[in-house]
Amino acid sequence: MTTNVDNPAEPGSAPNPAGAPSSGSRPSRIFNARVAEATMLPVAFVLVIALFAILRPDTFFQWSNFTSIFGLNSVELVLVMALLIPLTNGDLDLSVAEISGMTSVLVGWLNVNHGWGIVPAILVGIAVGIACGALNGAIVVKFDVNPFIVTLATGSVFDGIAFWLPNQQTIPGIAPQLTQWTQLNHFLGIPLDFWYGIVILLVMFYVLTFTPFGQRALFIGQSREVARLSGFKVSSTRFWGFVVAGMIAAISGVINDGVLSSATPQNQGTLLLSVYAAAFLGLTTIQPGRFNAVGAGISVFFLAVAVNGMNLLGAQTYVQSLFYGIFLVVAVVLSRVIARRRAANASG
Amino acid sequence: MSGTDQAAPANAVRSEVPALAARGLAKSFGAFRALKDVDLTVDAGEVVALLGENGSGKSTLVKILSGYHEPEPGGSLQMNGLDVPLPVPLGEARTIGLSFVYQDLGLAPNLQVVENLFVGHRVGGGAGSFARIRWGSERERAREIFESYGVKLDPNAQVGRLRPTSQALLAIVRAAEELREYRSGHAHSGGVLVLDEPTVFLPEHEKVFLFDLVRRVVADGIGVLFVSHDMTAVREIAHRAVVLRDGAKVGDVAVSSASDADLIEMVSGHRLERSVIEAATTYGSEAAAQAGGEVVMSVKNAQGGRARGVSFELHAGEILGIAGLLGAGSEDLPYLLFGDVPGGSGQLKLPDWSGDLTTLTPSRAIKLGMALVPADRKQHGAVAELSVGLNMLSLSLQKFMRGGFLRLDRLIGTANERAEAYDVRPRNAALNMAALSGGNQQKVVLSRWLEQAPRVLLLHEPTQGVDVATRHQIYELMRERAAEGVAILWVTTDFDELATVAHRILLCAHGAIAGTLAPPYTRDRITSEVYSATARGASREVTTAS
Repeated sequence: MTTNVDNPAEPGSAPNPAGAPSSGSRPSRIFNARVAEATMLPVAFVLVIALFAILRPDTFFQWSNFTSIFGLNSVELVLVMALLIPLTNGDLDLSVAEISGMTSVLVGWLNVNHGWGIVPAILVGIAVGIACGALNGAIVVKFDVNPFIVTLATGSVFDGIAFWLPNQQTIPGIAPQLTQWTQLNHFLGIPLDFWYGIVILLVMFYVLTFTPFGQRALFIGQSREVARLSGFKVSSTRFWGFVVAGMIAAISGVINDGVLSSATPQNQGTLLLSVYAAAFLGLTTIQPGRFNAVGAGISVFFLAVAVNGMNLLGAQTYVQSLFYGIFLVVAVVLSRVIARRRAANASG
Repeated sequence: MSGTDQAAPANAVRSEVPALAARGLAKSFGAFRALKDVDLTVDAGEVVALLGENGSGKSTLVKILSGYHEPEPGGSLQMNGLDVPLPVPLGEARTIGLSFVYQDLGLAPNLQVVENLFVGHRVGGGAGSFARIRWGSERERAREIFESYGVKLDPNAQVGRLRPTSQALLAIVRAAEELREYRSGHAHSGGVLVLDEPTVFLPEHEKVFLFDLVRRVVADGIGVLFVSHDMTAVREIAHRAVVLRDGAKVGDVAVSSASDADLIEMVSGHRLERSVIEAATTYGSEAAAQAGGEVVMSVKNAQGGRARGVSFELHAGEILGIAGLLGAGSEDLPYLLFGDVPGGSGQLKLPDWSGDLTTLTPSRAIKLGMALVPADRKQHGAVAELSVGLNMLSLSLQKFMRGGFLRLDRLIGTANERAEAYDVRPRNAALNMAALSGGNQQKVVLSRWLEQAPRVLLLHEPTQGVDVATRHQIYELMRERAAEGVAILWVTTDFDELATVAHRILLCAHGAIAGTLAPPYTRDRITSEVYSATARGASREVTTAS
């Protein structure tokens, strides 16, 4: 049994950020519709900013507010990148948020409770993240079971470990260098952790769009059968997708330690929902129909800015859960509507 | 010839009002006019064949009737004399007396026959959703229904385990039952059954069961619209043939008054000369003499799937046909030799590799110069949701790397050149595969493998669901490649096709090669030899088993 994600949108027929191919037979009307589709979210983003800027010019529309949004959402920015390869492969990885949470506790535990240097602690944390991803991938590929269930289960295990290690206590006082190199040091006025996220975003964009690996992953996500008969290494591509997801999730956990200067075992449900909302919202934009890095990155900040604006308007923190849930549904429905309209245009 | 004459159907149960009368149906997709003011009538008790190449507008017409497409204003539809507002509400076609059976049949393979048969009864909502289903009497009713259509089906059987023909029969009975219900509410008149290429995946000798069933349905007074490429099937059951080309109706003739050649000419326009079809049959014997290059693949005792010890040699430059009935093991052979059958074994010898099939994987087979064109295009051949260009060049992605970047613009450019070379329409490699007709999709799949310059080409039913004109293009393409030295293994149950293309033909029965068929090759000869080989094998099995 294959367990492809029900990819709600049909990938665009011109997956081509390097310039549209010359296509004389194609009416420009459709091309414009495609451009409109691809830029819908960025336009909505600008409108949302404009709205809050009018409502709260003193608090919202300040550069300092934006830099803090950029700096404080790097965990989400990094974590959503972890999802992209598995999603493109047609696999759901629900354990990334827990891997992130467990790594952040592990690094703090090694550093504070056991007196490890911060660098070895980080290296071990990332290695553990890779191992967690490898565990997910091995179970999924070796026994051909649904990754949805497997990662739901392993995620719960990772969550349990995160609470168990520090005895359910917050670990304060993580090495200040980590905070220095994530939250306190700035580049172009924005905390460094944001730029780490951007680097990972660019790498992911490159891998998915400009390498044969990324294109093969597309085939694997769409049809395991076709990919296998094309000689693609389906199992190993899926396995490495989970491994990379584990590694990136671990990096996001380390950044979380830096941002908070402490590690707290906590339920990761909201974090998971926010990154899935961003990934699926990203599916509707930039390269519509593809899980794409740039779209996912923009979506993270779209959601973050909207939540920030609502908080400044006086909304309580629970608005996040509400809002991410609503947007996940909206994103999935939206991509489906786009796919349907396109299918109707294409068939003849 | 009298192309557009309205001819009276033979042997039809006539009624005053046609079961279906459509006027001026039209549909455009952007600037492309898929259907141009087409009129269509189906009388009660009449079988009308809808013919046309892929992309001729057949499927657009069917999709308008099913409500999937909204036709352009100006068209009208009358069912059983009553005006039906267009568009047909999606999913409501049966309430106006239209019932559809598509190629994929729409059955749930994990459920029982009886569950599939009565699924239409479960659509009503409300409190009825929780009423008790009496399975005993449902099974009894299912048996009665099958009996009334002269169909042998076990209501308890799991649908996925039935032979494809039985599944097709079940789907047709289910659709006909829907129409019976419609007719019981409409003075026992009207109703049109639309069969959209239902014979494509069925073995030749089992199609008769399907024809018998259709005749019974028609005898009740139901009209049938039969969409097909299969000339034999059309000739067998259709009274009248309506031919579409480039979205327009170009012919409406009584089948009895038109020859195959007439019909093919109407379908394909000027592009296909009659002499090509007729000359093609004798091609095999001439070319067989020319074949006989070095052995490029030798297979010993290949086992896996239904194959139980297949041995043969394949030469450079030859088209080797494997003729076998469905289930003979020949259908597993291409996948077995490509390393894609779990548990497959046997010796394979290529010029630079020899070893056991257990160690072969598809990726290794590709590296060794093999290519496989699978029968099931939708499942195994291509990805409908990705672009034509990617589907075409997915095996050659490394060629489009420039400075560490995969250049998709270059890839699409090259794909457009290939689309030109292989006559893929429309010539736009950026389109999604789903936008192409079956024949054009198959050209894309073929071109993907030819791009690899394979030494051995394994083909399984390469023209399934492909229109007549494209079929001949594919034959020509394969002949060219064979002439360049490629060895081609051609496995099909379409013996007409084998007679046309094969240089040499091996008979396959009961999982093994039963012999070589000496030329000249004609469809009738291949058919009779395959049948007698199968019968011989069966009797030998009986004697050795005791």
